[in-house]
Amino acid sequence: MSEGAMAVVKPEMKSYIWLQTADGLIQQVEEEVAMFCPMICREVLQTGMGSSKTYAISLPQRVNPAILGLILDYCRFHQVPGRSNKERKTFDEKFIRLDTKKLCELTSAADSLQLRPLVDLTSRALARMIEGKTPEEIRETFHLPDDLTEEEKLEPLRNMTDDPRIRLLNRLYARKRKELKEREKLKNVEVEEERVDERSVDDLLSFINGGDGDSKGVRCTKNKKKNRRRKDQPRDSSSNNENGNHQKELNGLPSACQNGEVDDVPSQSKTLNLQDSASVPFSPKLEFDDGDIDDELDPAMKEELDREVEDFARRLNSVWPERMQEILSLGQERRLVPISMNGNGSLKTYTGMLLIKLNLRQLCPFSYLSLLVFFFFFENFNLD
Amino acid sequence: MKQREPPKFPCKMEMEVDKISNLPGHIMDKILSHMSLRDAVRTSVLSSKWRNKWITLPHLVFDNQCILGSSQDQTFVKNKLVNIVDHVLLLHTGPIQKFKLSHRDLQGVCDIDRWILYLSRGSVKEFVLEVWKGNRYKLPSSVFSCQKLIHLELFNCLLKPPSTFNGFRSLQSLDLQHITMDQIVFETLIASCPLLERLTLMNFDGFTYLEIHAPNLQFFDVGGIFEYVNFVNTFQLAIVSIGLYVDVGYEHSLTHGNTSSLINFFAHLPRIQRLEVQSYFLKYFADGNVPERLPAPCIELNYLSIRMNFNDMEETLVVLCLLRSSPNLQELEMLARPEEQTDVGTATSFCEKDYQNCLFNQLRLVKIAGISGLRCEMDFIKFVLANSPVLERMTVKPASSDGGWELLKELLRFRRASVLAEIIYLDP
Repeated sequence: MSEGAMAVVKPEMKSYIWLQTADGLIQQVEEEVAMFCPMICREVLQTGMGSSKTYAISLPQRVNPAILGLILDYCRFHQVPGRSNKERKTFDEKFIRLDTKKLCELTSAADSLQLRPLVDLTSRALARMIEGKTPEEIRETFHLPDDLTEEEKLEPLRNMTDDPRIRLLNRLYARKRKELKEREKLKNVEVEEERVDERSVDDLLSFINGGDGDSKGVRCTKNKKKNRRRKDQPRDSSSNNENGNHQKELNGLPSACQNGEVDDVPSQSKTLNLQDSASVPFSPKLEFDDGDIDDELDPAMKEELDREVEDFARRLNSVWPERMQEILSLGQERRLVPISMNGNGSLKTYTGMLLIKLNLRQLCPFSYLSLLVFFFFFENFNLD
Repeated sequence: MKQREPPKFPCKMEMEVDKISNLPGHIMDKILSHMSLRDAVRTSVLSSKWRNKWITLPHLVFDNQCILGSSQDQTFVKNKLVNIVDHVLLLHTGPIQKFKLSHRDLQGVCDIDRWILYLSRGSVKEFVLEVWKGNRYKLPSSVFSCQKLIHLELFNCLLKPPSTFNGFRSLQSLDLQHITMDQIVFETLIASCPLLERLTLMNFDGFTYLEIHAPNLQFFDVGGIFEYVNFVNTFQLAIVSIGLYVDVGYEHSLTHGNTSSLINFFAHLPRIQRLEVQSYFLKYFADGNVPERLPAPCIELNYLSIRMNFNDMEETLVVLCLLRSSPNLQELEMLARPEEQTDVGTATSFCEKDYQNCLFNQLRLVKIAGISGLRCEMDFIKFVLANSPVLERMTVKPASSDGGWELLKELLRFRRASVLAEIIYLDP
């Protein structure tokens, strides 16, 4: 009995440090755990604070009670001597499985307590969430506002390469944007185009990827909230229509696709086949709608725009091989693999790119441009 | 024109959720420094707050990751790399502490001169330049005026400092591989870096006499072709790894008379803790007189790794001298030079007395590799086992499995001074 009481009392014999968080909450923490934080250690040694409740050490603003709990967990584990590196690593890996908000708070708090190993650990974890991701993915992960205009996003590029094509792209982009706005105003209804407009580059990419074996659109998971209606009608019934549509589009393609490079490209019918399989993830309806919109454009303006896009496409094609190299290598890293249907590499390359063009033309000019911007961005901003 | 897209979240909520954008600058630098420069620079399009976050990054590393995919076209890659470095340096602001340039397709282009000049005006502390392709890149004189340098690492470069060069007064770590410089340049370079603690020299030319005058040197790793090594005032040197890549033969004894290179070598190494004698360097020790033991024992030496020819009498004597002079040795690694183990060893036989006066009171771990079961090798193993009372483990790994069984049977029979000793036979 008395032994049991002793056992209960015994922990009280341990030394404790009193800590106060910015919200006024005071708590006592085992000395060896608290002293693992250099900031607390210094405070204790230099000022003698922390010995009682009335002399609690005030922690920096950045350490809130919830985060303090996490930090103490970390200290409690790591202050124990004699743990193997493997044990520590396993603990660390589990420890940083937190949401981004907590992770950021933890980094900041650890920094204010001068707990360097924890700052290293958390900042490394944050870095891993950024590296190799597209801007869209990063924004989504960290809830960053997408508050830069496309022009602003391109600004660093303009500084970097005084490429006339980028200026042209900028101008085109601005024009398309204005035009879309006007059209919106005019119609004042929720047209499909609105939604198309919302589709991110990612969607387009997954669309392009759609053809490489997973016609079920597995990669779409990220964009579930975005507009991705799929008509589950049997493919046979729509394929004729689709084909017709493609045929029309193909004929109306910018000349760049039909002269020059096209010599290296498989026959048009083959392209069409590829096209069909690739377009599965998208609803045919969408494409028709876009067609409608296109038709409703002021013919003169449409013609002018088309000419410009055509011109742009031709310029884009002027340094084709190296561009393809880059897009290809880009693809390898962010899983943007051109549709692999026929054996050899170069063939794939060209069909892939041709496909992009074909489909984009069908989507809407805006998306087409945003993909071009995307390419430009990753290609020219070439820490890429 | 400049209209901004409406933010996706109401402002208040955004502030709450978007924690990362409001982290202090030094933490941001830390996060960004954990990723490749390419990823770091790309963050500038994330949002307005991220626009300029990367530009104060103190570490700039241009390596293979900064260009995606490899192109066969050399000039294309070169132009691209040059473009990237130029623009990053242009956009960057604040001090650059570390600058590393190491791309597998990098040649010694003159653009590097310009970047070094730029860096030399700042306070760069770490400079790493690895020229993986082409001829030696001649460093511009401006590199020699980077007086804040703490770490300098060069690969495939030609060093020719200006006459005004006064040494790197802050340099603590120097790593030179595949470099060319004159004898006099080398000597003054080493002697005029008073704080030098780590020195790595691999595959160099232009000098053959290694005069190491470095009072603070603790780590010295050298591998290459040289004739002579001389330590002066290296009383802090604790870790030495030294490899001579050619078999020099014995003509040296003529040039250095009968002074023992072994004694000279250790005269200025009172603090040595780890020593690796690689390639043919043992032959250098064997040059001249080999004493029975060194005048002053290597008290702190606890790790010794030696590549040797067990058949060579001279080399064996050197090894015995080293072992006798290392009373606190805890770990020993013996590697046979495979190309020399082929001849039958009956010609050289060791007198028992060679192995006397030698007790390894601290030796715990022994590793023996590349042997082929020759008499001299087995004698050596027998001798170590019989004289190591606290031995815990001996690992034996022969060069080939031929005769492995015989070797094992013989190993089993050897008496062991340590009751704890286990012998591990590893298949080749």
